Order: sequence, then structure tokens, then C-alpha cells
Amino acid sequence: MSARWVKSTIASYLRSLYTALRIIKSDKAALTGFLIIVGYILVAFIGPFFIELDLSPTPERLCPPSWKHPLGTDPFGRDILAQLVHGAREMLIVGFLAGAITVAIGAAIGMLSGYVGGKLDMVLMSITDIVLTIPGFPLLMVIAAFLIGSGVKELAPPIAAVLLSITAWAGLARAIRSQVLAIKEEPFIEAAKTLGLSKFHIIFGEILPNLMPYIAMNFMLSSVGAIYAYVGIMALGLVAYKPGNWGVMLHMAMSYVGTVTGVGSWCVLAPAMAIVLLQIGLVLFSNGVDKLFNPRLREE
Amino acid sequence: MRWIVKRAIHAALTIYLSMTITFFLIRAMPGNPIEMLLVEYRLRGVPEELAKAEIAALYNINLDEPWWSQYLRYLWSLLHGDMGKTMISGSSVAECVMYGLPWTVFLVSLSLIISFVIGVTLGMLAAYRRGGIFDRIASTAASISQAFPNYIMAMLLLYYLAIQYKLFPARGSYDINIKPGFTIEFISSVLYHAFLPMMAYVITSFGGWMLAMRSSTIRVLGEDYVVAAEARGLKSRRIATTYVGRNAILPLFASFAIALGYIFGGSTLIETWFAYTGVGMVMGLALQYRDYPLIQGCFLIITVAVVVSNFIADIVYSKLDPRIRIGE
Amino acid sequence: MAEPLIATESVTKVFSVRTSVFGARRQIKAVDSVSLEIGENEILALVGESGCGKSTLGRLMLALLKPTSGKVLYMGEDVWSLKGEKFKEFRRNAQIVPQDPYSTLNPMKKVVSALTPPLLHYKIARSRREARKMAGELLEMVGLSPPEDFLERYPCRLSGGQLQRIAIARAISVRPKFIVADEAVSMLDASLRIEILDLLLDLQRKFKTAYLFITHDFGIARYFAREGRIAVMYLGSIVEVGRTEEVIQNPLHPYTKALITAVPIPDPKLARERGLPPLKSLEVPSLTKVPPGCKFHTRCPYAEKICEEKPPELREVKGRLVACHLL
Repeated sequence: MSARWVKSTIASYLRSLYTALRIIKSDKAALTGFLIIVGYILVAFIGPFFIELDLSPTPERLCPPSWKHPLGTDPFGRDILAQLVHGAREMLIVGFLAGAITVAIGAAIGMLSGYVGGKLDMVLMSITDIVLTIPGFPLLMVIAAFLIGSGVKELAPPIAAVLLSITAWAGLARAIRSQVLAIKEEPFIEAAKTLGLSKFHIIFGEILPNLMPYIAMNFMLSSVGAIYAYVGIMALGLVAYKPGNWGVMLHMAMSYVGTVTGVGSWCVLAPAMAIVLLQIGLVLFSNGVDKLFNPRLREE
Repeated sequence: MRWIVKRAIHAALTIYLSMTITFFLIRAMPGNPIEMLLVEYRLRGVPEELAKAEIAALYNINLDEPWWSQYLRYLWSLLHGDMGKTMISGSSVAECVMYGLPWTVFLVSLSLIISFVIGVTLGMLAAYRRGGIFDRIASTAASISQAFPNYIMAMLLLYYLAIQYKLFPARGSYDINIKPGFTIEFISSVLYHAFLPMMAYVITSFGGWMLAMRSSTIRVLGEDYVVAAEARGLKSRRIATTYVGRNAILPLFASFAIALGYIFGGSTLIETWFAYTGVGMVMGLALQYRDYPLIQGCFLIITVAVVVSNFIADIVYSKLDPRIRIGE
Repeated sequence: MAEPLIATESVTKVFSVRTSVFGARRQIKAVDSVSLEIGENEILALVGESGCGKSTLGRLMLALLKPTSGKVLYMGEDVWSLKGEKFKEFRRNAQIVPQDPYSTLNPMKKVVSALTPPLLHYKIARSRREARKMAGELLEMVGLSPPEDFLERYPCRLSGGQLQRIAIARAISVRPKFIVADEAVSMLDASLRIEILDLLLDLQRKFKTAYLFITHDFGIARYFAREGRIAVMYLGSIVEVGRTEEVIQNPLHPYTKALITAVPIPDPKLARERGLPPLKSLEVPSLTKVPPGCKFHTRCPYAEKICEEKPPELREVKGRLVACHLL
């Protein structure tokens, strides 16, 4: 590993990054989405260094926004902004991790099923069809209730992410399989076969690059779905308490404030808008992310 | 024919799988509710026999039998519509669930239809005015509204329109002072109470239909038979509805299944907050009180509802599009 | 005599197709009991009208399609019974230059990524860096210079001629003993064709590769296979095989005669003198309804009774192989 090799690899990655940024910039909607996401990431990972999270109750309950509390205080007198900032990290990690797992499983099954075909395809697709019909969010609620009932106090983000992917991969698997069936017939695949390249290379080296735009877009959308489910479970109040978790904030807002007039609307609005804005950012970016892989755009 | 049988088998397998999952969660998972109950009864000093009888009544699971027998008995009672008894009140789970089901089906179907109609109309309009101001605004609005989680929209509608400004009722599926029946009074009360929850679904899901219809219509507009129809001199309006509309809508039916799953998914939160007496609300209460027989009952009913609606949707779709049948 | 490099023994390929959505399934014999041989370093041109089965035969020889009956032999051994290392060796030595340069390269991969995988797979290059260097050398060999201008490009940015050169580079990268060129210049501009043909000939002489050169154009076949042999195909069967110049100067089979007279002559006066090809009918029978007996008898001006009843065998006549009853 000579120094020159390291430098040239870094240079090529930087060039790809620059190309990617250039492409995103050209699509206004995607750019907006991208900036939103970057903003959230920064807040999530750097924010906690600037804002302290103090979870002890204070007498300043349900105060409106002020200099001291830019987003007001919750029913226990705690600062809402601090809670949002500290909860962002978990939300992003769980959301993106779940999205990644969903896409990984869905793509793997779809590619295998589509390329190998035959009995394997039949079996995998039957399983996929069944999983596709089982309602995902109700199942998650049931699992969450049972887990918590059996004493599990906290769910580590990776475990939560895996659970969120349990049914989500099925739709993607079907879609990817259709695409693989079409790509399989392309002349450049026949060329690869004639060259004698391995099945592994054909699936991951030739077919996969053609699936990347779709996979990237689905990664964003799966993350949206995972965040929807994750917040939803928390908002039900199943989890007793988690500091700063946005879903729990929603639950508290609806329990204490949601039925009373005139008081504490920011308790309801702040976490709601935080979640919605993140979802909008992801959706907007997902619409343009496939452009990143378009070869025509990658070169000037 | 063979194709219908295949779909029916799929549906049956899905339901069977769900029942097995719930059995696993109730009985076989480490730390499952039945074990916890046994422990609790033991701590309270309840005699073994009594404890087992209680459990049998609640879950239809006889702990004296071997594993596979418990499983079969469980499945058997489910197939007979007996889902055990709730822990809170001792009433039949099936009764509770069945009370809520019609309300949820009503809400969900109405929302789906309205959302579909609005979405499809806007989608076709946007496709015809492709690239114009209307198209761009509508498409962006569709994308953004899709990103909104439906329960958050429900929360906002509830908070602002029902509580702060008292425009709509905040609780219940109908005014309890009115006697249920086929009277105008009752029906309008039901609609009035269903309005906000419905809006929550409609606003967050019309976007999907709109974008799908738009791209489908654009594709159809490019097809030869449309150009031929125009060349033959048919009126634009007739072309739009008979040729373009029908063909563009067909692929959308395929995503009905996903839409249904999504709507039933959000129902628990939305119905709980609106105190709308559907299956979702029952499930919400069950979750809150950790009433496991009831939780499992709600989940199974929701699954059956989704599976059955998918099946019906598939049959309708196949009747509309002959290619599906021949393709198989 | 040494074993021929590639040989087919009565190889037949039948496809089952539906002519319309509701119609019955029909059998199409794309290749009908063909036996051909190609020796090392030998060029065999395969000529015939579109749809006569040439491409299918080419793919059968490359084992990209499995024969319905008959055998494909590589160095005397049945290709479909080869396993493991031996099959890998066959694969490496049998390559293709396909017709459409625009779709034969993966649109989502750069040129360098199209050339390096086989080099690494067969361990011709021992590292990514070496493979990249070799890819550059290959590009220079096919006339794309300087290679740095092309390695990092995507196919969408390149012209048909450039893409076809890259396809050729890819085919020769593994130093195959046998290449099937399937209408390799048909989709290129007329002005480019000679250049690419010369490039192929150059590479053939350099690496002593055997070629199955498929084309529907007699002129191109003559140019490329002038030192080799030519085989004429009609509706799935071979009708004449022989040394190119001999066949062209003195065609024996009526179909060959018709094809040769149909080759356009630039001089209008000579063309008019030549007149129309000697054929009874200009209609080509569909492969779903092949005429009985000699397949050509519906169009043959010399057809006799026996031609309607018995299919002729490929026999040796005057140093060539011809399938006609009347010789």
C-alpha cells in the first residue's frame, strides 16, 4: 500500500463525491431533501454537544417558547428542544439501519429468486407473497407488546431495526425479482456468460449495478417506513419511558395535552413537525437519488 | 379457475401463518404471557388446577396436554371463532373484536374510495396538463403529503380542528345521545364523527394514487391505440374516459393490497386518539392493559380482513383485465 | 488429420413458439441437422438470408444454446459433457463479437470495468492494477488510442464504432482459439465496416484465431473469408460449403447462384445486363411451414419431381460439399 495508491484512491472517491453533489444540485427538489437530511444528521450528532438534556422536572410546566426554552417546555417542565435534539440520533440510526436491512434482505432474495429461477424462485416467491400480505404494523405492535410484557426494558437500535424489517422486505423482493428477470435477457449478460464469468460476478458485478438506482430510492423509502413504524410504536405508549424519543414525546403530548384547549400546542407541534420534516426530506431526496447512478449524468 | 384456487390457498396459508405466529408469541416465546400468568398465580397462592382452568378459559390452551395438542386445540378453537376471553372483563374476545370490526371497515373503505377517486382524478388531470403549473404543484403536493405519517395528520386535525376550534367532534364514532338505527340523524352523526379520521387517511394517501395514475396515464397517452382513436375523430372527452381512463387505471388495482395493509396499520393510533370505536381502538386498549388474548384476537381479525380484501381485489382485478387470467 | 477445433454433428435446434396469444404452439427447426467443421486458425464464413438460422448455429457452437439433438464437439469432445476445468477451458476459448454494439456492454459500468473482469477471472492479470494496464493495451490494439481517454468512459458516451472495437477487445482479451462474429459489422455505418473488418483480420492473423463469420452480405463474407471457406445456409440447412473464391466464381447450388447474382454491382450498366436473380419466386417460406423434400424447391428454377419428395444430402462435388439432387 504505497502512499501514491492511497492518495489516488482518496482522489477518486472525492471525485465521485463531487460528481454526486453536482448531480444533486441540478434537481431542486432532491437538493432540498438532501439538505434537510444533512441538517438532521448534523443536529443529531453535533447538537448534543451544544445543548444539555436535563430530565429533572421543573415547575415551569408547559411554558410557551421563550429565549430560555426556544420550543417551550413539556408537561413536566423539561425543555422540548433539548429532547428533540438528543432524540434525533436514535431516530436516525434506527431508521437508516432498518432501511438498510430491509433493502439488503429484499434485494438479496429478489436477485437470487430472479436469476436462479426454478424451484428456488417458486419457494421464495411463495414465502414472499405470504409475508407481503401480513399487515406489518399490527404485527409489530403485537411483537412489541409481547416483548415488553416479558420484561424487555430497552431495545438496542440494531434489534429494533431488525424487527422493523421483518415484513418490509417483501415488496422490494418482488419488485427486484421482476427487474432481474428483465435484465437477465440483456445482451451484455449473454456476453458475460460467454466470457465464462462466475454466477457470483454476474449477479453482483453485472446485474446489481443496473439495480442500484432502484435500490437507492428504496433505501430512502424503507427508512421512511421504518421511522413511521418506530414512532408509531412509541406513540402508543407501550414503552414506559425513553428520554427524548420523539414517539414517546408524541404520546405524552396526546395524553396530557391533546384533549385540553389552548394549552401546550407546541408540545404537540414540535415533535410532530420534527418527524414530518424528516420524512419529507427523505421522500424528496428519494425522488432524485436514482439520478446519482445515471451514467449519462455522471459524465459532463 | 386454477388461478383463483392458487390465490385462495395463499390467503389460507397467510391466515394460518398468522395464527401460528400468535400461538408462538403466546405460548412458546421465552417470557410469554402464559408462563408469566402461571408465575403470577403461583405467587398469589392460587392452586395449580384453578390457574390452569383460568388459562384455558382465557386462551383456549390446555396446559395438561402435550405441545402439539395445545397447538391443534388452539387452531381448532380459532377456526370455530372462539378467541378466548379478555383478561380485563372476562367477556369473549370475539365479541369485542366483532363489535369494532364494522366501524373500522366502514371508515377504511370510505377513506380508501374517496382517496382513490380524488387521487385518480387529479392524476389524470395532471397527466393531461403535463409539465404545466398544475402538474408541478399537484405532484409536489402529492409527494409531500405522502411523507406525512397518517397518525400525525390525525393528531394535528384532532388538536386543531376538534379541540381548539371545536369544528368537529373529538370523541366517539357517533353521538351517544342518538339511538343507533337507519335514521338520517344517526347516519349524519356517524359521518360527522368519521369525518376527521377519514380526512387523516385521505390527505396522506391521495398522493400515492395521484402519482401512480399520472404516470400510468402518461404511458397510455403515448400508446398507438390512443393516437388511432384521435385520428378516427372521436371526441376528446370520450377518448379520455373510455380509452385512456380505463387502461390507465388497471395497473393501480395491483397496489390496492399495499394500500389496504397500510391503512389498517395506522388504524390503531388514529382510532385510539379519536376514541373511534373500531378494531384499532380495541387493540389500543388491549395493548395498554396488556390483555394478551384480546391483542391476539385483534391482530388476527385485522390480518383476516386484509387477506380477504386482497383476495376480493385480486378477483375484481382479474375480471377487469383479461390478460391476468390468460397470462397464468 | 488433426481433430478440428469446433465441429457439429447433425446438430438440430427446435424452438417452440406461439404465433399469437391464442394460437397453438408451433415447432420451428431453426437449425436442421447441420454438420460443419472449423479447424484451428481457419476462417469459415456463414452466409444466408435473415432468419435462416445462422445466429442460432453460432450460439450452438458456443454452447450458449443447447441442441435439441446432435452434438457440438470441441477438440473432439462433446461440449455438453465437459465438466469443471475442461469446461472452463472451452468457455475461455470460444468467444463472441455480437451484432449490436450498443447493447453488448453494460450501460452502468465504465469501459475499464467491462474489460478487467475476464482478465482477473482467468488470472491473466494478477492484480487490479495489472488488469487495468492490460485493458489499456487491449484498447490500443483495437485502435482506441490513447486508452486513458476511453477507460473511464461510460458506453452512453461512445459511438457505435468505438463500442464495437471495445467488444472486440473484450473478446480477444482471453486469447480465445475460436471467435464467432455474428453480423459484427451489420449495425455499423458503411464507412466504418472496412475498418473494423480489417481490424478483425489483423487480429486473426496475429493470434491465429479460428472464426465463424456470420453475415447476410456476400460481399463482406468474400472480403473477410477470402483465404478461407464459405458455407451457405437456407432455412436451417447447409446447402453449399467450399473455398470462398471457388464458390463465388463458380457457385454450384441454385440458391448460391441466386444469392451471388443478387449482390449489388456499383456499375448500373452491368447491373442491368445481369438482370434479376434466377428464381421461381421471391417469397421466402416461413420456418413454421417448411417445404417438404428439398427446402429450396419452391423457388428453384431447376426443380424436378424428386426435389419435392426427398431432401438432398450434403455430398462432395468437385471438391466442395453441395446439397442438390441435380449434381
